[in-house]
Amino acid sequence: MDLTVLPVALGDYIGLSLVIFFIGVAGIALRRNPLIVLMSIELMWNAANLLFITFARVYMNNAGHIFAFLVITVAAAEAAIGLAIVVVVFRNAKNVDVDDVRILRG
Amino acid sequence: MIHHVMGVDGTYPLLLTLWLLPLLGGVLCWAFGPQLKTAAGWLASGALLASFVLTIVAWPTATQNLNGAVGAHQALVSWMPGFDFGLLFDPLSLIWTCIITGVGFLIHLYSIGYMHGDRAFARFFAFLNFFVFAMLTLVLSDNFAGLLIGWGLVGLASYFLIGFWFEKPSAVAAARKAFVINVVGDIAIMMAIFIMIAKVGSVGYGDVFSHVAAFGPTLFAVCVCLFIGAAAKSAQLPLHTWLPDAMEGPTPVSALIHAATMVTAGVYLIARCAPLWNASPDAQLLVGTVGGLTALVGAILGTAQWDIKRILAYSTMSQIGYMIMGVGVGAYEGGVAHFFTHAFFKAQLFLGSGIVIHALANEQDVRRMGGLRKKLPFAFFAMLIGVLAICGLPGLSGSFSKDAVIQGALEHGHPWLYVVGVVTAGITAYYMFRMLFLTFTGAHRGEIDPSHLGMRHPELVGTPHGDSHSEHHHAPAWLMNVPVAILIVPTIAAGWLLFGGGASWWATFFATTFAPETLPAAPISEMATTGIVLLIVALGFLVAYLRYGRMGDAKAAAEKLRMETVHAFPALTNAFYFDAALDALFVRPAAWLGALSAQILDPHIIDGAVREIVHLARSLGNGVRAVQSGLLRAYVLLVVGGAVVFIAYYTLIGVHR
Amino acid sequence: MIGFFALAIVLIASAVWTVAARKPVYSVVALLLHFAALAALYVTLNAEFLAVTQIIVYSGAILVLFLFVIALLSSGVAAFAQGPDRLPKAAIPAGFAVLVGFGLLAFGLANATPQATATSNSGSLHGAAGLANVFGSVADFGKALFTTHLLPFEITALILMVAVIGVVLLAGDVTPFVSRTADTKRVKREMREAILKEGGE
Repeated sequence: MDLTVLPVALGDYIGLSLVIFFIGVAGIALRRNPLIVLMSIELMWNAANLLFITFARVYMNNAGHIFAFLVITVAAAEAAIGLAIVVVVFRNAKNVDVDDVRILRG
Repeated sequence: MIHHVMGVDGTYPLLLTLWLLPLLGGVLCWAFGPQLKTAAGWLASGALLASFVLTIVAWPTATQNLNGAVGAHQALVSWMPGFDFGLLFDPLSLIWTCIITGVGFLIHLYSIGYMHGDRAFARFFAFLNFFVFAMLTLVLSDNFAGLLIGWGLVGLASYFLIGFWFEKPSAVAAARKAFVINVVGDIAIMMAIFIMIAKVGSVGYGDVFSHVAAFGPTLFAVCVCLFIGAAAKSAQLPLHTWLPDAMEGPTPVSALIHAATMVTAGVYLIARCAPLWNASPDAQLLVGTVGGLTALVGAILGTAQWDIKRILAYSTMSQIGYMIMGVGVGAYEGGVAHFFTHAFFKAQLFLGSGIVIHALANEQDVRRMGGLRKKLPFAFFAMLIGVLAICGLPGLSGSFSKDAVIQGALEHGHPWLYVVGVVTAGITAYYMFRMLFLTFTGAHRGEIDPSHLGMRHPELVGTPHGDSHSEHHHAPAWLMNVPVAILIVPTIAAGWLLFGGGASWWATFFATTFAPETLPAAPISEMATTGIVLLIVALGFLVAYLRYGRMGDAKAAAEKLRMETVHAFPALTNAFYFDAALDALFVRPAAWLGALSAQILDPHIIDGAVREIVHLARSLGNGVRAVQSGLLRAYVLLVVGGAVVFIAYYTLIGVHR
Repeated sequence: MIGFFALAIVLIASAVWTVAARKPVYSVVALLLHFAALAALYVTLNAEFLAVTQIIVYSGAILVLFLFVIALLSSGVAAFAQGPDRLPKAAIPAGFAVLVGFGLLAFGLANATPQATATSNSGSLHGAAGLANVFGSVADFGKALFTTHLLPFEITALILMVAVIGVVLLAGDVTPFVSRTADTKRVKREMREAILKEGGE
């Protein structure tokens, strides 16, 4: 395997990352179940991670790996807190629905 | 900055003390009025007596002459270049200080008796002392800014004292009128100060007077502005209308403020600014003419008054007209001398009338007086002396000073002002003796129904000011008589200071203040003038005697007065329509302007702008409010939309820049 | 190359499934598949350590957490009953934004000039995973993490700590702390009142 040659073109990786990222965006924008919304966010994290790792490979610089690692850690923290909020907010609610949480409306 | 020396610089504790003592007295009377009770009067009088004594003690410092620097100059505060506050005590200030503290003391003493039993006894004396302090600030200041401060404070004190019986609507209206007209004068003086700052860069007397040439053509404007201020304070045409109304205040106030001191501030101002006037013949002509006209108009209006205090008020206006005429034409010693003597005899006349008013339980209408010579012999005697002095009986004080003014007008080349002065002297004799005859001779008309005397609104005549005053136990008469008795002495004798023409004590005293001039000999000699004036005065007396001296019994007198009241000239009873003219010229346009802004400008434009801004903010908020839906998905859409915009920028524009 | 496209198809399909699934449990399963495929893709990019981490952390920890929460919420409520849809036409702007954003980025990607130059700090791509000079190996990664990038690493530790405390405070049962102090106060007040009463009698 050549050092500078990726298995496929760089654009394919980026395109794949974009597709996954926008699927996540669509999930957040369209789904009303808070758990699926959180999972869509995980998809977006991973799309970003894919780019980090791809470019780390392109530039042969493992700083991208480090950053991806940190993203995974932060994502774990985010998921934990997000789920905790979901649990607190919906503990006594009848519906588990982001549309019902509207305390901050103007 | 050239510092023109006026007065010998130094530290003068006496000067500071005599200046601040009245303030101290006023503050004490104000703060501890309820505790002091009648002692407030004695405290205030004591403060003034001490001030007067200090003035006499400090006399030599005012007349000292060191290389052309006359008097004492005490620097106090330096604010910025051109604004150095200090006290100047020179012969001119000295004369005013003497009158303010000396006559002021006597009137304070008199007030203890006059105001006895008044509910606000201590407040009255606090105001009186405050007035004296303000007046001293005015005359002792060494710059125009300090003068203006004193000028304004004096107006304020006058406002307080005219409106002292503020339960009376007429007193409140009179106080307001006086204050407003005085403020017009204040503003005019401020304008003059602005011009001074622009042209000279300083407000100090010395700096301004040593740079008269710097004013150029604006000198006349400065003089006119200063004179408008002087006219407002000294009741000159056409700003005199407040003075007769100001008689709503207690009689001692009329004596102190509206006869002896405050109203002569204009005379002081013009005498102080002699270097300015000397350099501007136009301004001299203007001031002399206005002064002469005021003397004449005041005297004519004085003949048609029935209220004893209003007669004296118009007389004051007329006499100040003389003074202004004197200082206006350049006869400064004469004008100032007339101030000096006038302070004595006018204070005496007012205090004498106060005794009469007090004795008649606040009756002020001369139609309801008469025959009081027997009941109040002392008051009659005092007022007779005063009337003789004001008319100019040779030997009494008034004759010297008045003749000096009239002769001065002729000497300085204003013959028609000379004629006006002489004619006015005759009219003065007429209305003063008219008052004297109506008050003290003939039969007493106090019991006659007011309508039989031609009085249309008897309930408005006289000053019923609170029940406490009419019921009170009268203070010992000596307390009111003593000051009047003391005043008789200078009323008779003060004029002799002027005896001797150019070599007199008076002329020597002011020789360093007003540069002596060599004038061409007047066509009429001084002695001849005295003779002419005496003749005219005798004529006036004769007319007064024929009309009012022999009115027969009460019934005939009442009928005569009724006819006279009914058939009086409307122009005279309406005071030549000055009030109506001022009303139409200034008051009504101002009211119209006020109504305009109250009904259109304020609600529709100013408030409207505020309302529109509120409306805008509210509608903006309502519009943006829809964004804050509280829906998570809506927020996500907004964020994504924003991101798309950024993406569009960087892919479409940013890269192919 | 074929591997990449196979993985890509799996990744996209599982992502769509995650988003579109009717029940959250299905989403979790789809996401598990997605993470696995992504880990495989990482291996092809010489990121072995991250591939393993992806499996352990995401699949092992986060997804299990999701499952726990689903179980917790399902037990007490009518399982994810839906309320009224307050944004019924959200699909239109969302679809528009997604398509436009994606289109723009794809357009930008097509027009971009690649500037790929290797700025290698690691030696070879070949060799055993345990050797320190092999790009993406555990040793290479660990060396970088604990030397060059130590500060971010420590900060991440702090973030995790804060997250743990936050979760405990948010979702944990904090009433014992509150009620204990309240109880103490109540007891003290009652004692005081009792003493006062006795004194009064």
